[in-house]
Amino acid sequence: MHPSITSLLLIALSTSTIITMSSYHWMFAWAGLEINMLSMLPLISKEHHPRAVEATMKYFMTQAAASAMLIFASTINAWQTAQWDISLLTPSTPMMMLTLAITMKLGLAPFHFWLPEVSLGTTNSVMLIITTWQKLAPLAIIILLHNSLNHHLLTSLGLLSMVVGGWGGMNQLQIRKIMAYSSIAHMGWVVMILPKAPDLSLLYLMLYIMLNLTMFLIIISTALTKLTSLFSTQNKSFPMMILMALTLLSMGGLPPMTGFLPKWLILQELIYQHQTQMATLASLSTLLSLFFYLRLVFNAFLTTPPNTSNVTKNWRNQTNHHILLPQMMILSLMLLIITPLVISLF
Amino acid sequence: MIETQWITPINTMMLASISILLYPLMADTLFKTSMKMQARTAVKYAFFSTLATLIMFINLGMEINTTHINLISSTNFNVGLSFKFDYFTLMFCPTALFVTWSIMDFAKWYMAHDQEVNKFFKYLLIFLLAMLTLVSSNNLFQLFIGWEGVGIMSFLLIGWWRTRGEANTASMQAIIYNRLGDIGFILTLAWTGTNVASWELDQLFMLKPFDTLPLLALVLAAAAKSAQFGMHPWLLGAMEGPTPVSALLHSSTMVVAGIFLLIRLHPMMEDNELTRTTCLLLGAISTFMTAMCALTQNDIKKIIALSTASQLGLMMTTIGLNQPNLAFLHMCLHAFFKSKLFICSGIISHNLSNEQDIRKMGGIHKTMPITSSCFTIGNLALAGIPFMTGFYSKDAIIETMNSSTLNLGALLLTMAATVMTAAYTTRLIFLVQTGPPRHYPMQKITEDKTLSNAILRLSLGSIAIGPISAMTLDQTQTLPTTVTTLIKLSALGATMMGIFVSLIFIHKNKQNRPQKNNLSTFSNMLTFYSSLTHRSPTTHLLKKAQKVSTTLNDATWYEYSVPKFFSKTQLKMSKALSFLAQGKVKTYLAVFTMSLMTLIILTT
Repeated sequence: MHPSITSLLLIALSTSTIITMSSYHWMFAWAGLEINMLSMLPLISKEHHPRAVEATMKYFMTQAAASAMLIFASTINAWQTAQWDISLLTPSTPMMMLTLAITMKLGLAPFHFWLPEVSLGTTNSVMLIITTWQKLAPLAIIILLHNSLNHHLLTSLGLLSMVVGGWGGMNQLQIRKIMAYSSIAHMGWVVMILPKAPDLSLLYLMLYIMLNLTMFLIIISTALTKLTSLFSTQNKSFPMMILMALTLLSMGGLPPMTGFLPKWLILQELIYQHQTQMATLASLSTLLSLFFYLRLVFNAFLTTPPNTSNVTKNWRNQTNHHILLPQMMILSLMLLIITPLVISLF
Repeated sequence: MIETQWITPINTMMLASISILLYPLMADTLFKTSMKMQARTAVKYAFFSTLATLIMFINLGMEINTTHINLISSTNFNVGLSFKFDYFTLMFCPTALFVTWSIMDFAKWYMAHDQEVNKFFKYLLIFLLAMLTLVSSNNLFQLFIGWEGVGIMSFLLIGWWRTRGEANTASMQAIIYNRLGDIGFILTLAWTGTNVASWELDQLFMLKPFDTLPLLALVLAAAAKSAQFGMHPWLLGAMEGPTPVSALLHSSTMVVAGIFLLIRLHPMMEDNELTRTTCLLLGAISTFMTAMCALTQNDIKKIIALSTASQLGLMMTTIGLNQPNLAFLHMCLHAFFKSKLFICSGIISHNLSNEQDIRKMGGIHKTMPITSSCFTIGNLALAGIPFMTGFYSKDAIIETMNSSTLNLGALLLTMAATVMTAAYTTRLIFLVQTGPPRHYPMQKITEDKTLSNAILRLSLGSIAIGPISAMTLDQTQTLPTTVTTLIKLSALGATMMGIFVSLIFIHKNKQNRPQKNNLSTFSNMLTFYSSLTHRSPTTHLLKKAQKVSTTLNDATWYEYSVPKFFSKTQLKMSKALSFLAQGKVKTYLAVFTMSLMTLIILTT
């Protein structure tokens, strides 16, 4: 795309998110979300092949339906309580519909169906935007309203998403779809702790964005598409594969890496609030996503692939990696030790 | 008036006699040739020593219990090395040693060409020591040591010719059946250990009434060791061992260990009706079935083994009649003539080139006069002919039984067994000794002087010991002294009937045609007991064990329950979710609508 169009779309994208996050009136929130959606659409269909077009259509339909339900919910709320503020509102049907709308926007189960399709239709960088930036606006709304929402609904949606993300990702061969399902699972964590400790869900979101960014940068750098393409990547860029392995383990929540931090704090918070079964279920469901992360690691360099490599092993590994990759690596692997600081901040 | 000056001699001589038996075992390794002692000599000295103690006991009526060392001592439970020299011990030891003396004389001739003859005698000595430990112990623990000792030695001696497959199988069978009995014994040990906190016999007798459980366990132990009907196959298989082994272990001493246990622990069983009835019926069935089997056997050792089992059944019946002293008397007297029968059969078969089939013997009474005379005497004693040794105990038992008010079935079975005993002993006498010789012509038939002396000694015992011991019997229970004439003559009548019927059949079937009727086959095949119980239950048990270990333990726990279960369920769920994501927007919108409706209904 022409760079001026790309820059216009990106500016609109960022502005819309900021409009939503800083809005006071429901109309502005809705308007921000709509601009968000509209500016994403050309980005998704940037390559003009049928799959991208189909992905765009699916994205448009779900997001439009979600925004419509959002404004419908806020209208009913205005009808019932005579105010348009995004402020403390009582839990009721409009709030439930609002929760559903946000769920659709975020890509949580049971409305997650669009995310894997879209992930296959777009390029890796656009998918990166969808899974990281696009979560900010809806979550901003829902975090502002966390007191008025139905606790049970959010928790069950969260658990359902974790489980769907786990089981759905097990049957996939495309790496982009795997990342989509992992996004569903992580969003489940965010939403699950939302009614109890929204600070923690914010923390989780931030760390998730960091990890996801790292992973997608690796995918963009090595142009990975399928699981089988992992077989020969170790010949081309071995250090990248090792770092991918560590990042995936961090995303799975294993201790010395950063990914353990948010999960640990969330589980601790759940147990403090006597929700031990929820904590157990959450941990067990995360095992499912850990499985397919490990599958990626396994195929990358723990097995010998059945095909012969048509590339001579590079002695000096030169990779065109993204400039941000080293910093993101360090952030996603080494941040566990600043946990006390994090606790005091949140 | 207890004359305490006699305690030391009796005590010392008994312990010395037990210790002297150790000397040949150790002398071979420790001393030079000149100081070695033969096993027979040691047994002879031990016999005379115990005979002296027996005489002292008959004179004084003094019983001694001595305790020496505490083997296990804890808070309330002490187990020590303690000996009880009472009537039973002091009567049994000379008998056993006398019989062993004669058997060792015989074994010297029989095993003369064996290369490991010294080891054989040492095994016999160790067995004898274990037996004497069993009979002289004052607590159940020491008795169990002796019990297990005789079991082990029986195993080693039955499998003496270890290159023979049947001998190995038979010895394993003996061990297995004895082990079944040991379950009962250990149950008793455990029960008394926990409930009485002592294994001393004196302390056990003070606790009355006893529970049924340990008593029935004791009956099980005795039944297995003394080859009662359910557990008799091992005794028949034990005939694979050399004849001295059969004579010593499986006629006189080891198999009576079970009966001895019941006799010793009789005060515990006196009041318990269930135990007594069990003994009565078990003994009656045992004596009847084994006597029936002995009627049609053709192997001389098997006939004598079955007659041993029959007499053991009779002893068990007597215990069931609450007459342990009679049972003990029968035990001691039975030792004399049964061992003599085994020795004579051993001499006969060894002389005829190890021929054991009675259909192939005959005409012995001209070529081996002493042996055949002694054989006849032994058989007559076994049948209970008046005024031979067997008569005194057997007749007394049958009289007691006839005049008691107990089970009619047991009574009839025992009478039938008496008839059959007489029948097969007559058969033995006639087929083995009379008639034209049916063995191979060129045989080297010898009768050693030592050998003849041995069986002549035992014959003396078979004739003369009866009245002597009956007079010195320790009468603690009154025997019936007045019975009607018919009942008094019933035992004799049964015996005579058996002899006559047998003579008739022998004269009729001179050609010795094979029988074709079912009863004869049933009897010949030993009531088919082994065929029924040795194969299918064990196969089923082993198969079940294999199924449990491979299917339940191995496959289920290590494969199906965790790994495959998880993989199957996760795979199923994953496939279901993938199925749902079909790519059709209609599906998605349908899910959306349904969820919305449901949640609206649920939350309002």
